[in-house]
Amino acid sequence: MSRTLPDLATIRDQLQLRIEARRRSRRGALHARREVLVCTGGGCLSSQSSSVADALEREIASRQLGARARVIRVGCMGLCAAGPLVLVSPDGVLYHRVDAAGVKRIVAEHVGGNRPVADLELTHETADGEVLRSRDVPFFARQQKIALRNCGVVDPLEIDEYIALDGYVALEKVLFHLTPEQVLDTVHESGLRGRGGAGFPAGLKWQWVRETAGDEKYVICNADEGDPGAFTDRSILEGDPHSVIEAMIIAGRVVGAQHGLIYVRAEYPLAIERLELALQHARDYGLLGKRILDSDFSFELEIAMGAGAFICGEETALLHSIEGRRGTARPRPPFPAERGLWGRPTLINNVETWANIPPIIDRGAEWFAEIGTEGGKGTKVFTLAGNVRNSGLVEVPMGFPLREIVEEIGGGMRSNMEFKAAHCGGPSGGCIPEAAADVPIGFESLRELGAMMGSGGLAVIDEGSCMVELTRYFLDFLVDESCGKCPPCRIGISVMLKILERIIRGEAEISDLESLESIGKHVQRTSLCGLGRTAPNAVLSTLHHFREEYEAHLFEGRCPAAQCRDLKAQGSLAQRRAGRIARGAGPESCAYCGSCLIVCPNDPIHAEDER
Amino acid sequence: MSDRPLHESGDPSAEVLPGSTGSCGLLTAEPVDPLVGSRIDAYLARHPGGAERLIPLLHLAQATLGYLPVAVQEQIAARLGLPLVQIHGVVSFYHFFNTTPRAKYQLKVCMGTACFVRRAQALTEAIRQVLGVDPGSVTKDGLFGLDEVRCLGSCGMAPVLTLDDDTHGNLTPGDARKLVFGLQARARRQRVPEPSERVDE
Repeated sequence: MSRTLPDLATIRDQLQLRIEARRRSRRGALHARREVLVCTGGGCLSSQSSSVADALEREIASRQLGARARVIRVGCMGLCAAGPLVLVSPDGVLYHRVDAAGVKRIVAEHVGGNRPVADLELTHETADGEVLRSRDVPFFARQQKIALRNCGVVDPLEIDEYIALDGYVALEKVLFHLTPEQVLDTVHESGLRGRGGAGFPAGLKWQWVRETAGDEKYVICNADEGDPGAFTDRSILEGDPHSVIEAMIIAGRVVGAQHGLIYVRAEYPLAIERLELALQHARDYGLLGKRILDSDFSFELEIAMGAGAFICGEETALLHSIEGRRGTARPRPPFPAERGLWGRPTLINNVETWANIPPIIDRGAEWFAEIGTEGGKGTKVFTLAGNVRNSGLVEVPMGFPLREIVEEIGGGMRSNMEFKAAHCGGPSGGCIPEAAADVPIGFESLRELGAMMGSGGLAVIDEGSCMVELTRYFLDFLVDESCGKCPPCRIGISVMLKILERIIRGEAEISDLESLESIGKHVQRTSLCGLGRTAPNAVLSTLHHFREEYEAHLFEGRCPAAQCRDLKAQGSLAQRRAGRIARGAGPESCAYCGSCLIVCPNDPIHAEDER
Repeated sequence: MSDRPLHESGDPSAEVLPGSTGSCGLLTAEPVDPLVGSRIDAYLARHPGGAERLIPLLHLAQATLGYLPVAVQEQIAARLGLPLVQIHGVVSFYHFFNTTPRAKYQLKVCMGTACFVRRAQALTEAIRQVLGVDPGSVTKDGLFGLDEVRCLGSCGMAPVLTLDDDTHGNLTPGDARKLVFGLQARARRQRVPEPSERVDE
């Protein structure tokens, strides 16, 4: 049934305190009526959190504690490595790695007996021996959440819970109290930049679409999170779908569009399911459809499903895919802001960008612009994964030092090996060596290091991983995912991949390093779209920061991480050649390749002439 | 016959489609599963449109049949008034669509960055040894399929694999082997005669 503005206000009055407590609650006083929040984010689901939630419900019912505790399934809390996570609110006790026995103890001792189960609680011991509990551990305490503000707090299937936390307040302002120009100014002044990778100022994009003439315009959410190693978008869609829906309605009002599409990758069936339900709830409440909240504005949103193509995260390829075609990129200009879906002006933003919009409108541009740095306002969500201990989803202000993300929030390495590098931005990104890890995270600072913010995938790598092999992995991915339309990308990447495979097998020429570099630069300069232009980043950044690893493979036939087995078995080409000459094959077999000079442990005598 | 692989070579690009030049009439005599046809009609009744309905329809057909035989592609081409070549172009472009029957138990090993860094290759290798099939193919009895996929979005639990819709995280090669042995035992218990003409790619 459709709701009016006073209805929404009533929902907020009734629910706000209770739900706000879930977000704020810290360890302290115990309460009689509790909510048991179970994380049903992607990470916890894979550690069987949904059966934990079922078991909690059964246990509470069988002990007849239903009046004192209620189980609520929420979105991603972030700390996937310690899942399944269960938070008891408003007591603020966070339990980790909860299994069947843990369920019984939480219900019996905490819910039934008012004694939190100390040995199941998440704790962290600081260097000075202080024990931090639950959400006071650095993983949670050091974060600042804007895009993920509701993830792990609200039940994503209940629109009322989103409304309770000032949901759809921004929409109300946009529809009734602000002119589209004022909203546009707010987005401009906030300094919000696109979170999908390139960092284009959101306000400029909105203005561009608004000023382009057209009787029909579209608003699109890019949720084709193709970066293998990032699940920010997935978590927002699964944990807080309404923040994206609200933002898109607002944008529709500002740019003059009445139709929106959310392009979700097919690998995220749960996100699609929850989003569909959220759209249905929004329609039922009159927040989507004709004359939203009795205003003169109408807007409809639909889901478009991807089908497994990394390139479809590129905006022109995404448009082709929605139009039912192969997802190939096309040259820009014309930009989608001028000629987008079906040739109409189209505004495309990434999920995380959208999720930032409602708080910006609600709390004002100044509030947002105070967070972060000069070049990057607000926060950024990172998927912290790889060899780090606390893998999961983290949100920090722009300018936060990378080392603190890895060592404090991430808790350092999982193994007893040293932190070697962090690869940021997925296949399009590059790596940041440990020595440069004090860099404050930002669009420009990462670009200067040869990496990029990208979608925020942060793969932490320890000394046990070979950088050449990792680079080969990314190129192998990109060869598969190149749409094949432009030759620099289609041919260039596969040539680079072949060279890397030769290095790993110990069959590469010494000149191959130079070829890698020059091909990389060509592909960067001449490719049609972002996929090709960023594809060599992994190669060039590892060549720059870890050249000695490449050289160890080539000259010494040694993989410093002891990962490349073929190389270990047969040594490098240079070694084999030099060995042949040393065994007395005779000067007639000398190819003047220089291998013997490079692999000789003594200071070799250089011949002046060719002989 | 419709669940026989359409091309024995295993290379989709080697497949020559009749009528790829643009006609959209029904060209093969292969019968189409009536359920797919009725679902397509029902979907189009609710969501009328043209090419923008292609990818949703392909998802629908694949969800019904498990794969997309040429006959179904032709049917969709006819319903949408699109040339068959466009349908096949889309089917062959996107990784999600497949033109050969799927296995009963489909194992997908995630090869996203986080899983790669945490040695997902060892999971694939362990399963490959137990099942005797390479990634991308199906065992001779049609029961088990092994695939390597790009990022399932459970990076925090790397390395992960999915068995049909269930995700299993933080696995060692031993865990993966155990999972497959368990499945094999389950399959033996509920032995139903499988079409013997099912062959792997």
